[in-house]
Amino acid sequence: MSAATATASALPEFRAAGTDLSERRRSGLSRGPIVDLAATPGTIGVSWAADGSARIGAFTTIAMIAADRRIAAAYPGVAAAAQGLATPQIRHLATLGGNLAQRSRCWYFRNPQIDCLKKGGSDCPARSGNHLYHAAFDLGPCVAPHPSTMAMALLAYDATVTTDQRSRLTLADLLGDGTNGTADHLLAPGERIEAIDLPAPLASERAAYKRAISRTYAEWPLVEVCARTVLTGGTFRQVRIAAGGIAPVPLRLTACEAALEGKPADVENIAQAAQLATSGARPLPMTGYKLALLVGLVRDVVEQIAE
Amino acid sequence: MNTMTINGRVETLPDDPDALLIDVVRDQLDLTGTKLSCGGGVCGACTVLVDGAPVTSCLMPAHAAAGKSVTTVEGIGAQGLHPVQKAFMAHDALQCGFCTPGFVVEAVAFCDRWRAANGTMVPSREEIGAALSGHLCRCGAYDGIFRAVADACAGRFDGDNFASPRVEARDKVTGAAKYTVDIRHDGQLEGVILRSGEAHARITALDLAPARALGDVAAVSLLSDDRIVRYVGEPIAAVAAKDRRSALAALAAIRLTSERLPAVIGLDLARRDDAPVVFDRANRKKAGNVSEAAGGPAPWKQNIRGPTSVFAKRARKARNWVNEARQANNRLLVEGTFRTGTQQHACLEPHAAVARFDGDRLTVHASSQWVFHLKEQIAKRFKLDHDKVRVIADHVGGGFGSKSSLGMETIAAIELARAANAPVRVAYDRHEELSVAGYRPAAEVKVSLLPSDQGELKALSVIAHADTGAATNSMIAGLARLIYPAEAKELRDFDVISNLPPGAAFRGPGGPPMAFAVEQAIDEAALRLQLDPIALRKRWDPDPNRQRLYDWASGLEVWRNRNAVQTGRYRRGVGVATGYWLYLWQPKVKVEVAVKAGRIVASTATQDIGTGTRSVLAETVARAFDIEASEVEVRIGDSALPEGPGSGGSRVTASVLPPTLNAIAKLKAAILDQATRKPAPGSNAPWRELIARSPDIAVTETRGEDGTNTAPGIRSPLKELGLLGIIFGWMMRRSSNIAIGAGVPSSVQVIEVEVDTWLGHVRVLNVHTGIAVGRIAAPQLAHSQACGAVIQGLGYALYEAREVDPRGGNVLTAGMEDYRIPGIADTPEIDVHFDEAGFDHVLGNSVGIGEAATVPTSPAVANAIFNAIGVRLTEIPIRPDRIVAALNKRAVA
Repeated sequence: MSAATATASALPEFRAAGTDLSERRRSGLSRGPIVDLAATPGTIGVSWAADGSARIGAFTTIAMIAADRRIAAAYPGVAAAAQGLATPQIRHLATLGGNLAQRSRCWYFRNPQIDCLKKGGSDCPARSGNHLYHAAFDLGPCVAPHPSTMAMALLAYDATVTTDQRSRLTLADLLGDGTNGTADHLLAPGERIEAIDLPAPLASERAAYKRAISRTYAEWPLVEVCARTVLTGGTFRQVRIAAGGIAPVPLRLTACEAALEGKPADVENIAQAAQLATSGARPLPMTGYKLALLVGLVRDVVEQIAE
Repeated sequence: MNTMTINGRVETLPDDPDALLIDVVRDQLDLTGTKLSCGGGVCGACTVLVDGAPVTSCLMPAHAAAGKSVTTVEGIGAQGLHPVQKAFMAHDALQCGFCTPGFVVEAVAFCDRWRAANGTMVPSREEIGAALSGHLCRCGAYDGIFRAVADACAGRFDGDNFASPRVEARDKVTGAAKYTVDIRHDGQLEGVILRSGEAHARITALDLAPARALGDVAAVSLLSDDRIVRYVGEPIAAVAAKDRRSALAALAAIRLTSERLPAVIGLDLARRDDAPVVFDRANRKKAGNVSEAAGGPAPWKQNIRGPTSVFAKRARKARNWVNEARQANNRLLVEGTFRTGTQQHACLEPHAAVARFDGDRLTVHASSQWVFHLKEQIAKRFKLDHDKVRVIADHVGGGFGSKSSLGMETIAAIELARAANAPVRVAYDRHEELSVAGYRPAAEVKVSLLPSDQGELKALSVIAHADTGAATNSMIAGLARLIYPAEAKELRDFDVISNLPPGAAFRGPGGPPMAFAVEQAIDEAALRLQLDPIALRKRWDPDPNRQRLYDWASGLEVWRNRNAVQTGRYRRGVGVATGYWLYLWQPKVKVEVAVKAGRIVASTATQDIGTGTRSVLAETVARAFDIEASEVEVRIGDSALPEGPGSGGSRVTASVLPPTLNAIAKLKAAILDQATRKPAPGSNAPWRELIARSPDIAVTETRGEDGTNTAPGIRSPLKELGLLGIIFGWMMRRSSNIAIGAGVPSSVQVIEVEVDTWLGHVRVLNVHTGIAVGRIAAPQLAHSQACGAVIQGLGYALYEAREVDPRGGNVLTAGMEDYRIPGIADTPEIDVHFDEAGFDHVLGNSVGIGEAATVPTSPAVANAIFNAIGVRLTEIPIRPDRIVAALNKRAVA
């Protein structure tokens, strides 16, 4: 009587720390063979180039990133994102590569009884069903928000991803633009993430990250925002704002960025620019509230970096 | 071959790529202190140390532990208790104890790290909250955990001079306590249940042969006689095999065909005239029960059962007055429609049973709130001699109402054990636990409250529709009879039945939704009458227990200093609400107090689900004999003992204390009578000496009726209901073995919140809970219960809601990441005030606390939010989306 979802689950799946896959194995969602990825020298930890840029190995754990002082100094938005996701025990196990390549947390996708686009089905049951925690930017057939907080933070830093087959993929190259509802990333079968490159930080740049949730900790974000800027004489320069929890892929809030660029860093300008965070939004019947949260969160985070 | 070092021993790891670390720890090494609860890395009950760092063993592949050092909770206590363990014991930082090993492991790692870096500096609440944010406790022991971790870090538990108020605490902090899921007999099989994937269907063919053909598989049908399944997850069949994976493979082999029937999901659609009917007349008895007691007769049309309105008073009058007031635009008339969410019990120990036949004798280990009753239900259902069935529950990892009767986990385990001729364990996984193991039904509650021109309460109308799924017997509106007397009350309750799993009793069934609606209406009335909300309650609610609590509440500084509605991003507000529960006790309960081999032993077939029953008994006996509680052996959790009460309806303390006290008195007389040598004059422990020298003596006493000498204003609530009340009371005794006593256990709470209007986030700053449940039998444990009740109430108010697929009827919040219970960092400062008067007519003067203490939390939060932002939140949980909607509504207005 249960929906057949075996079609999508017969493919081999990579396993890094297994914090996502183990749960899908337990529920029966993933039933194909497992290929364990083994860390090789250079895939754990952070290496720094002379120009100040950093390369983070795919097997570096989230906890290592969260605790790395040099990361915190150079890329505070990345460090804060790593500190804010999941739980301490998960952060200790989970790897950066695994975080980027994790599967959707959509409650329809995770239910082995229900078919969906990501499991070879023909439509998105959340769109016409209960999508309380889903996208407010309706960019494609699947309305599940992308689960990777690290991808969202890395997007704000123009980071690139190197795999065993390709190098210098942008986050958009890796995750797509949200129009492909069948996958959570665009890695080819058998392609594995090896490292993430972060460009050298700008002089005296600052950043902040925050997620809106109902409790205090340990909750998938309703909305999350990472913002960077360089304040020059009290004026916003080089603004980058990325948001997660609101679309099938992490989004750059370019309208906000443009509105802040060159403006004095005061609360009125921030409040006005934050209103533009919803440019291009198309909420679903149950997700309109995310737009109000997005505006509030952009205001909050940008005020933090303007201080 | 890979190995790991675990608790100092080298062990081999399995080659199976799907083996997880927890499987090795629990199943291969039998280190059952590590608990499997959510299976998704959310609750932290499975936490172990890998090379010193806490990780979730439920997600970590076993092979990843190769070459590493693993420490489980058993390893931590091995060389003498860690200061964290001692602090948990002393501060009563645990209740049911199922989450405790995980918390202990994490807290030990934090404490060791902290002290290496900071010495004995005390970490802040925020630091502790962040460190333990990967753990969940459903009992809500967080208040004690904060204190325990802080004190362990401060070095206050480095020595061995400490005492624990909970007699089994050591077993719970070391992982030694065995729960039903930890039982493993030789040759035991694992059972799993095949469940419906459809919300409504007729099973046209069920073929178990392919499952049996796999070999060493037992399979049984669980279909009811009409072969109809009425919700997603309704049991169809069960299989048992050597392990879970083999059992799941056998389950997948079962051949099943079905014919889909039209289904209807939820409160709104099921009420429509054209909705498919869930239970036709012939099958209504198959519906479940969402209350603690059996229900009476009620009208039942299509999917709507009701109204039940036995507790109404001049209902037509009330309706007319409200209608007239509405037509006259009477500005004092308060009206509103309130909606509450579906709350899951979310016990961390799932529903579980292990059944074993020895000849014609059946032993069932069950995660049960009522071992004695369960034994009788099993004997009846399986047509077994009562003396040949034994139910055991040494420790129970939470219940909250969901483990009160014979459940499918037990039925399946017994059926399979019989079919397989081997012991069988059935333990629900988290998906089952959060979908088919019961819940507090959501409700729509319409309230009309009419004050008279003189400012008295003239009429109250409460009409409740409960979203009971495949169950009936809700009472929400009816509970508004026993508070705020009015000239007339219209109280109508309806069950709305649909193709969703059946609800169940949940801590004060009907109480929290009633209070959420009525207590906000009272608040609104105070606003319109321009009266202090506590003063209005004091005027309208003459109950003597609550009168004292109102005096306490109105004196609180936080109440006296509360502000008017604020502006700005963060807005603070203070709210008040009242709750009560009935004082229930169970007739025929027997307690044996005995001297056995020179020790005092107290026995009754009750159980401790984290409420502290073991300790209440030990403490009571110890006090009477002037010895330590640790010198008293308490035997519970075994149906072979004298008949004991169910851990539901807040009835345990009031049921067991009176016979215990009577038995103690008689035992003392018998000991003295048979003593050959009197204690030395001036002995400081005369009873210790007498007991040690006494021959074996056993005294069994039965719970008798209460005294009739009640304090002024304290009387049986049934008397206020007249003849109907007397009939109701008689029915309760006859059909449910529950007596309703005189006096009303009550709680008044004052709560301060801060609303972040940008992010829709509500932070609860502090909670003051005043509780009148008579004399407190075990103060630290009662404090834990009071805090836990508040924390569960905060979950109900702010976070918890089952979400379902509106078409298919699947429960979507079937994991702990989507079903959101409060975490430690969500815990406010909680100030507990016990008012110990009011129950002098009960021998021992104590009644139960569990339910009364949780009823007022959600309306107090809502009233506080109103005080902060000027908008009334009529729907819970008050999530960010609802705060945003409320603020938008205000902006538009």
